[in-house]
Amino acid sequence: MINFNRVFAMIYRYTINMRHSFDRITDMFYWPAMDILIWGLTSAYFLKNNPDQNHLQFAIIGGLVFWIVVWRAQYEVTTNLLAELWDKNIVNIFASPLKLSEWVTAFMLFGFIKTIISFSFSLFIAFLLYGFSIVPIGLFLFPIMVNLILSGWAAGFLVAGFLIRYGGTIQTLAWAGVYLIAPFSAVYYSLGTLPAWAQQVSHFLPTSYMFEGIRQLLFTGTMSSDKLLISFVLNIIYLSISLRFFFYMFNKSKKLGLGRLI
Amino acid sequence: MQPILEVKNLTKKFNNFIAVDNISFCVNEGEVLGFLGPNGAGKTTTIQMLLGVMTPTSGTISYFGKQFEKYREEILKDVNYSSTYISLPAYFTVAECLQVFARLYEVPDKEKRIIKLLSEFEIERVKNKQFYMCSAGEKTTVLLVKAFLNYPKIILLDEPTASLDPDIAVRVRRFLKKEKKEYNTSMLFTSHNMAEVEEMSDRIIILNHGKIIDENTPEKLANRITQCFLELTIAKDAKKAEIFFKEKHIQYVQEKSRYRIALKEKDIASFLSDITKENIIYEAISIDKPDLEDYFLQAIGVNT
Repeated sequence: MINFNRVFAMIYRYTINMRHSFDRITDMFYWPAMDILIWGLTSAYFLKNNPDQNHLQFAIIGGLVFWIVVWRAQYEVTTNLLAELWDKNIVNIFASPLKLSEWVTAFMLFGFIKTIISFSFSLFIAFLLYGFSIVPIGLFLFPIMVNLILSGWAAGFLVAGFLIRYGGTIQTLAWAGVYLIAPFSAVYYSLGTLPAWAQQVSHFLPTSYMFEGIRQLLFTGTMSSDKLLISFVLNIIYLSISLRFFFYMFNKSKKLGLGRLI
Repeated sequence: MQPILEVKNLTKKFNNFIAVDNISFCVNEGEVLGFLGPNGAGKTTTIQMLLGVMTPTSGTISYFGKQFEKYREEILKDVNYSSTYISLPAYFTVAECLQVFARLYEVPDKEKRIIKLLSEFEIERVKNKQFYMCSAGEKTTVLLVKAFLNYPKIILLDEPTASLDPDIAVRVRRFLKKEKKEYNTSMLFTSHNMAEVEEMSDRIIILNHGKIIDENTPEKLANRITQCFLELTIAKDAKKAEIFFKEKHIQYVQEKSRYRIALKEKDIASFLSDITKENIIYEAISIDKPDLEDYFLQAIGVNT
């Protein structure tokens, strides 16, 4: 049974952490805004030289805005875990009645809120600067968001498993880990652009179905529901595996003692 | 009476290294158990296992008659911990740090409890100070406040007064005694300050190389060393005294006019009577009785 008082205690902890950390606020607004600005301008430049490629700009901005969802969902799991190591607080929280499942739930809920805020802000900037709109996506937005967040969590808990076992020495993974799947997810280009072997890899990634689907929606207004379903099934499988992996690594870390991580 | 904490055959191995070797002990209600040992003796490893942040290799831990492994969440509501080796979120104000833990422990009347404890430890002034801005002593005290937030039935204190100024350490010890008296709180206490352990503990366990090598009250442990040191300052009758010591085969160490003589406590009176009979006049006398530190050093094999 999950005790939501303890879950909210951890959400309160990460909210206060954000309030005190300039880093955590800037990475929510500053980097998405910069990415959209730079890539939007770059695509505008290409568009100027190739006026017939008018879908290019929206493909890139659309990819960017939705990739923020995957990245943010992953990032919130891993950096909040790292915050406990940086603050030498991990022993304190696990010497309290907090359960691992409650910690995981707090990561997910807090990450979900921040992901939605960051995504909404990015959409607003993209609309403001380039007139990018998600209206063509319509009601598909909800299942797409669910799938992308699940993908981010799956990647996040996989990385978190390594962090809880090996500590801050591999902390780069906390913000860079999910980029390993980015090339195969076809975020900014169609799957056909990838070499054959990479396309085979892409078929196993739930994100590739979503980014292909988003482009379809933006350009044709339709999307095959198969893509949603395959992505969802893969996400459930991967999230289950990564959560199991995280729990396994946590217990492995406990064998060595969580105190060594501080 | 059911012990508050019962540890049976607790062992922790790291590959071939045995950090804690088959130890068993208990802490009774309202009892303060001192945990002494040199660095690397296994104290912190034991405390980590007692808190559930390290999995034992074998053995069992029970609190309030319930197996810790099975009833972890329920048990930890009534347990708390403080150590100088941990910290709290650096950029949080002290009040925010304590709020997080008051919420985790589901403390009723959080704000009231925090203010009460801050005032009892006389550190209300740091309430709105960021944790990293606090002095070492203030940080240690805030960690102690955290440890008492949930009205724990048992509290594990790892070096709780390290880095505190003597006057604050006295205040902390006074508070710990008051808590023990008012709430019958049990404590497991480690410290490098022998006088503090002696003052605070009802019973002491001495740990060395992961094993319990002795266990008793502080007085009984100290009394295990029967030898005292008698220090006499003899200026005028020095020659006479030395002849007397040689005749009686009395071991002594001389430094100028001071003679340090090893004697059993019970033999001191007769010794003094003998030198008086010999008309040996001493200008000053002091008796150095063994304390817990002497016993501790002897127990872990350090020659003084």
